[in-house]
Amino acid sequence: MTTMTSLRTLVPLLLLALPLPALAGTVKGTVRVPDAVRSGRMNQGYWRLENGNVPVRPSAKKLGTVVVLDGISGTHPPPPKTVTVEIAGLSATPRFVVIGPGSVVEFKNTGKITHELSVPADETLMPVERLNPGTFRHQKFGVPGGYLVRCSEYPSLAISVIVVDSPYYAVADDKGAFSIPGVPDGKANLKVWAGGRWAHQESIETNGKDLSIRIESAKSANQPEAKDTEGMGTGKEGDSEGKESDPKGSAE
Amino acid sequence: MFLSKIWFILVALFAGVSLSIALTAPRPMVQKLEELEGQRLDRAEYATEQMLKVDAHKWIDRVARLGRDAVLAEALDSASRGSGELGVQHRTVQVRIQALLPDLAGAGIATIVAVDANGRVVARVGGDDDKSFGENIGGAELIDDALRGFLSDDVWGAGGRLLRVAGAPVLSKSRDRIVGALYVGAETGAQFAERLKKNLDVDIALLLKGKVIASTIPAEVLSGLPDMVEQHRQDIDNLKRTPALPIDVGKETYLAVAAPFPGQASLQKAYYVLIGKKPAHADMGSLLASTSARDLKWGSFPWIPLLVTILGIIAVGLFLQRFEVDGPMQRIRAELRALVRLDGAKLDDHKYGGGFGGIARDVNAALEHVSIAMSGAHPLGNHPPGDAPPPGSAFAGGESHFAQAPRAAAGPPLIPGLGAPPPPAFAPPSDEPAPVTAPAQPAFGAAGAPSEQDEDAHIREVYEQFLATKKECGEPTTGLTLDKFSQRLHDNRAALMAKHDCRTVRFTVYVKEGKASLRATPIK
Repeated sequence: MTTMTSLRTLVPLLLLALPLPALAGTVKGTVRVPDAVRSGRMNQGYWRLENGNVPVRPSAKKLGTVVVLDGISGTHPPPPKTVTVEIAGLSATPRFVVIGPGSVVEFKNTGKITHELSVPADETLMPVERLNPGTFRHQKFGVPGGYLVRCSEYPSLAISVIVVDSPYYAVADDKGAFSIPGVPDGKANLKVWAGGRWAHQESIETNGKDLSIRIESAKSANQPEAKDTEGMGTGKEGDSEGKESDPKGSAE
Repeated sequence: MFLSKIWFILVALFAGVSLSIALTAPRPMVQKLEELEGQRLDRAEYATEQMLKVDAHKWIDRVARLGRDAVLAEALDSASRGSGELGVQHRTVQVRIQALLPDLAGAGIATIVAVDANGRVVARVGGDDDKSFGENIGGAELIDDALRGFLSDDVWGAGGRLLRVAGAPVLSKSRDRIVGALYVGAETGAQFAERLKKNLDVDIALLLKGKVIASTIPAEVLSGLPDMVEQHRQDIDNLKRTPALPIDVGKETYLAVAAPFPGQASLQKAYYVLIGKKPAHADMGSLLASTSARDLKWGSFPWIPLLVTILGIIAVGLFLQRFEVDGPMQRIRAELRALVRLDGAKLDDHKYGGGFGGIARDVNAALEHVSIAMSGAHPLGNHPPGDAPPPGSAFAGGESHFAQAPRAAAGPPLIPGLGAPPPPAFAPPSDEPAPVTAPAQPAFGAAGAPSEQDEDAHIREVYEQFLATKKECGEPTTGLTLDKFSQRLHDNRAALMAKHDCRTVRFTVYVKEGKASLRATPIK
């Protein structure tokens, strides 16, 4: 009895003496992407008119908006892997991939059109190279960041490669809603990839509670890089409108 | 000549100011012309933009009309559903399009492509690859837009060519769904550039991926244009055009305004550049080169004011020349002629100012010196009036009014211990001590040296004059014996003869600063 009594007293004391685990919460919110991204047409000509007979269908393309939380201490990047992007005609599947550093992307041309793929913003990383029908090209991405792989002949063919060094990221759904669960408390850097570029970036504080963020990004990839943050605003408020999206979505 | 100098300076200043104005004045005009040319290029850019818009709308209308054709709709519907043979559908669509648009070139269209609802090419008309079909071009933004129900346009740059395209959906016969899409493409190259040049009167260059793909100026001289445009990417992003930029094309300088093509070609550095000639430079050579005979006509050029000004400047210059140079010179010549006629002893140097006063004083000094030097054998005063001057005298030579004095009259050396050094032969009279007397010149032969007796007689004579002068000046003469005096003069004469390579030396007694002095004159 004496032993049992002692144990009853000791266990709660031991539990109190153990270090408390870091609190974890969910960061969720909505991203309002640039109009051009939502419209499904990034590069417009002079005219774009509705036909007047049949209602216009929504774009079949997913927006490809990715929200990444990095700069969180004690986290590990996703392990490197190989992801295949299949290019058929003038479209690529998937149109964006989220991978860990050191991952390899295999670009496979299954169509009849020859492409010339490169990362125009960093041609030393991925220079222009001809990709004939039926061939493939492997490209390793070692440094975290966002890369837009584009065909120089058919620039509408663009593949976003987002290399993250944190497991906390999510792909926004068609309405722009995202949710990243299990985020430890502390400071984090929130970045939004939309329209082929980092469209928004801000520091946030997570305190173990759920955090809702509304991000409005009005710029697209074709607008000047120098004005990255111009015209963008954030508002932190409760937002239950957006659906939760797949936090592990590594590919569309 | 003070006024003449002032006038010369004024004329030089006037000329400098006039030249500066002549060189500077055209520059604002050239700047204005540049500005006007830039504005003209801006207007041409606006007109080009409107033309591109109108073209795009025209093609959208055309392709939308084609998209309502029932035969095309049925064939594409069939292809979309996968029913029937694609080859048959290909021929059906091709023949139908050719029937609907028999003259593609006349409509300014290079190609028409029909795709089914899945983005698969069913038929092509026009172009080199009108026999190929079956590949999927879904994913191109224009095609995706058309299959969603939009009518739109775009610019594509592929294979080193620019293609302006317009697409529209093909509606089913019942007009309730989209069964495919059509797009037309127009080649945008040399023909387009020529058309713009004809309409806008400016040169055009089309750029794609950093290269000139078509231009109305030889492309090889525009090699620096793509880089120059790319350097102004910021302007293009912000303003959709560059300001008027100067570019060197061969030996000519042009102004260029670059603007981007819209659509996906904007990602491929696709620009049209409007080029106008820059006004000529404002340097003297360019100004003269661009001057025509019309500019120099009486009505266009102020000849009379210019002539009056030039004549006025010349008249004032001549007047000052007459007043300060020619007048005094004539007067001095007249006085010199009078001297030659022995009508006077010297020039009236007080009448002359400046340089001429100095000349008059020099002439007077020379006359005085020559008179002393020649007082023995050829005293000037012994010539009868009207006689010609003796040969070798300062006035020999007829027309020469300022002949050089005989070498013998050149500055004599000092006799050490017997007096101060004499001034130069033509020194101003104020510095020249007046000679007390001049001993008679020995009558030498033409080239022979004087005899010892002559020398002794000369020294004796000089000794007596020197002694007398010293007494007159109140100086003591004790110890000044003839022997000592003679010895010293002999020594000096020998030294001077060796030094000057002369036949002999003549000594003159004169008073300087109240004391008797001697001057030695080498005789050649």
